[in-house]
Amino acid sequence: MDSLIKEFNAAYAAMKGDQLAETIHPDIERYSHKLRAIWDRGDLRSTTADLNFLFYQDKSHANLSKAEATGWFEIYLTYWKAVGEILAAEGLRGNVKGSWTQVYVKWKELTLLIIRGYSHYEFENWTIPCLYVAGKYLRLYAMRADAEKSSSNDDTAMTGFQDDFDPEAEENKQLEDCARHLNRIFQICLTDRAPLEESRKWGVYYAINLLFKTYFKLNSEPLSKNVLKAISAGRSDIPLIDKFPKSQQVTFKYYEGVLSFLEENYVEAEKHLTMAWLMCHRDAQRNLELILTYLIPCHLLTTHTLPSAQLLEPFPRLQKLFIPLANAIKGADLRAFDHALRDGEDEFIKRRIYLTLERGRDIALRNLLRKVFVAGGFEESKDGAPPVRRTRIPIAEFTAAIKISSGEDIDADEVECLMANMIYKNLMKGYIAHERGFVVLSKNGAFPGTNV
Amino acid sequence: MSWAASAPPGIQQPAAAYYSQPSNAAYTAVPLRQGFSQAYQAQTQYSYTAPANPPPPATTVPTATASDQQSQKIEWPQSVRDYVQRTFQKSSDIVGISGAEVQAKLKDVIRYTQDCGIMHTTDWSQMPSPQQMIQAERQQALMASISSPAAPDHTATAKAKVNPKKRKSTDLNEPDQLGSTVPWRSTKDLSLEDRISKPATDMRSLMDGPLPAKSKSQKNAEKRQRRGDGGYQSSYRSPSPPPLKGPIVGLNEKLEKKFFRLTAAPKAQDVRPERILHQTLDMLKKKWRKEGNYNFICDQFKSLRQDLTVQHIRNEFTVSVYEIHARIALEKGDLGEYNQCQTQLRALYMAGIKGNSIEFKAYRILYFIHTANRTALNDAIADLTTAEKEEQPVKHALNVRSALALGNYHKFFQLYLDVPNMGAYLMDMFVKRERLAALANMCKAFKPDLKLRYITEELAFESDAESAQFIIDYDQDLLLEREDHIVFLTGKAGQRFEEARGEAFRRVDLKGQI
Repeated sequence: MDSLIKEFNAAYAAMKGDQLAETIHPDIERYSHKLRAIWDRGDLRSTTADLNFLFYQDKSHANLSKAEATGWFEIYLTYWKAVGEILAAEGLRGNVKGSWTQVYVKWKELTLLIIRGYSHYEFENWTIPCLYVAGKYLRLYAMRADAEKSSSNDDTAMTGFQDDFDPEAEENKQLEDCARHLNRIFQICLTDRAPLEESRKWGVYYAINLLFKTYFKLNSEPLSKNVLKAISAGRSDIPLIDKFPKSQQVTFKYYEGVLSFLEENYVEAEKHLTMAWLMCHRDAQRNLELILTYLIPCHLLTTHTLPSAQLLEPFPRLQKLFIPLANAIKGADLRAFDHALRDGEDEFIKRRIYLTLERGRDIALRNLLRKVFVAGGFEESKDGAPPVRRTRIPIAEFTAAIKISSGEDIDADEVECLMANMIYKNLMKGYIAHERGFVVLSKNGAFPGTNV
Repeated sequence: MSWAASAPPGIQQPAAAYYSQPSNAAYTAVPLRQGFSQAYQAQTQYSYTAPANPPPPATTVPTATASDQQSQKIEWPQSVRDYVQRTFQKSSDIVGISGAEVQAKLKDVIRYTQDCGIMHTTDWSQMPSPQQMIQAERQQALMASISSPAAPDHTATAKAKVNPKKRKSTDLNEPDQLGSTVPWRSTKDLSLEDRISKPATDMRSLMDGPLPAKSKSQKNAEKRQRRGDGGYQSSYRSPSPPPLKGPIVGLNEKLEKKFFRLTAAPKAQDVRPERILHQTLDMLKKKWRKEGNYNFICDQFKSLRQDLTVQHIRNEFTVSVYEIHARIALEKGDLGEYNQCQTQLRALYMAGIKGNSIEFKAYRILYFIHTANRTALNDAIADLTTAEKEEQPVKHALNVRSALALGNYHKFFQLYLDVPNMGAYLMDMFVKRERLAALANMCKAFKPDLKLRYITEELAFESDAESAQFIIDYDQDLLLEREDHIVFLTGKAGQRFEEARGEAFRRVDLKGQI
């Protein structure tokens, strides 16, 4: 404890938030030595006594106000207890058995005390990194506690008397709880009215990112919308996002992009994801891959373009996901497209890009129809005018092409329906003359964006 | 004062009062009190000896409260003391029941009411004497052994009597087998004598007994009363019994029951056991077929579901109840109820209970198409196994989805004409919107006009008249009569249907969605 408080004093005197946050870091891999030393120092009484001395009697330390001292005293006492639980859960306390649920409970207590520090004990805004550490690990411990519970197959679920409860909520009970506390962290940052230089508003985006992560894990993305609404309502006094650390910007933009993506707002999604892509650190392969997972389908729909081999080169997983589809689209091969989509279905569904990629079939079809158009050749030119492509094409020709490409039978009505769709979506220009059984394509740019 | 009126009949007296003997009762006092209080003290120190009727679920009394009780237990209400006194009067004696048995029973009764925190609310003047209870118990054991010698009633009663210590709260699952002679256990098992000695109106207060949760007003009344007493007995009455942990087992034999959303722990006598619920379901099915009164049926199904839930009954019967209710709700377009059933069914199927999971998984997909909930749709597909995707109803639903995703209205309306099970009820909910979308599409692609007949067929209208009406509802000038047929003027209609389409897709009913 002594050394811990010494670190605390040093960090406090220098007003270094990150350094301060390190003192309550619970990472067992990074600080296994330190954590054990803290726990082995003594029992509850001696720890309390130690802390009492260090915070209330020892006058050598930094100039803490009385309220602040109270806050930090409680925080370190709870930290000490949490460390005990962590060691127990990791099996490092001999025969004392612990559980992640216990760890979660204690760590939650610690988190609440830190939040309380801001609401009651006049903590200053540079200490926010402590809040980050608390929130980050609160989420991790919640997930571990849930995993522990589901693996122990504890069937205590049915406790309610109503039958309209959500059984899935039970699986993520701690994480749901965690989301509420993360939301409090968000609120305590958002609602600070101090002038910007000393405002907790600088913690807003870190808190949001934690919340997003949690909501995504809980499959309750719609809740993220509330967060976005909250910050857009108070946007005027939140610092602009580009004033925040880049890592926070990238994460935020990524989630903002994915949220738009899930709402089928591909234009917005592309904007956010592109920003995230451009700012992301080039060595953060995993993050780059995640961004591309959504950015590529976006591009396919907004600009009808496919990823180049060069872009996918560093990402073998993405190659496996996208290359078969991309080849099928390029080759206007409907059957290959259907196969590729089916083969990748599980993975696409998991990444929630299936429903978007499926629409790539339109592009494959467009390419096919274009081939029919090109193969139709030119009308005989009159009076030496430049040759004009044949623009009246019998439905039967398209029908044949689709039959060959998809390997399935299809009737003329369905072909007309598909053609109508092409026209409706502006992938093709022209009209269908149903009674006469042919399509009349536009003389100029029958297939916009493809040079014919 | 108003609060005085709600105070229990036995008003608290100073501890010393207990020892000051009523002058007219000297002959009952000494042996009784000793026996009683000694037995009682012994009990609080050791693990608690259960009475013959099942103890309240929480049998472990924290030691702190046990000592509380010990120090305060001398404050018996006057009504209780009167009851004790009555018990030991000569006139209460019944031949063949020994004093020891009576004392044990008396102890159990008082102990029980105390544990349940209803000692002060119980009307002791109406409580049958221990002798009467024992007699009733014996009669019942006798009756049971006569009517069905092999029935477990007899043995269970005997067991309960011979060795009450063996009863644990887990034994709650054999409810009907208990020697239900104590009035709060059951009404129908009462002997005639008991019924005479205790008017039915008073039963209520007694029957509230074994259930630990109290109504709000009751609690408030108690709080008020405690305040009035100067807070002396606040610890006396606590610990208030914790809520039920385990499932309860119903005792209600009625087939019909109105739904009432529970605000407190359910009462066994209001809940119907599973065998009754089976009959209820059969009756409801018949009634639905005969009368088709949805409000009545829905209400009945809700109470049926509630009874299943509070008794933790999760088996194939449960599944069939939810399935039937879901189908009826679907038929009536009651999406709220349908959703609740569907959510439960999903959980039940996931727990491995058999039912028509394929049918309902298909509904699930169709429903999410209706609500245009892409995330949920994605999850619903993620839940499917490869084998399930090949099953006809699921395959149909997935085809509907992909047809819509690709704007293939031709395929969509063909699928609409051939829906497995009751999926058509779901598809009906979004078919109008898809017709508008298809028309908007056609208006842009087909020039200059289309035969009405073609639209009728493509969009699966029943007749030309129906499709004409559909179009006229939006605009009267879009149809033109030619020599032998009617044409739809696509060139003119584009804007109109584009607007209608946008409007239709904005309005998706999200009622009760999960």
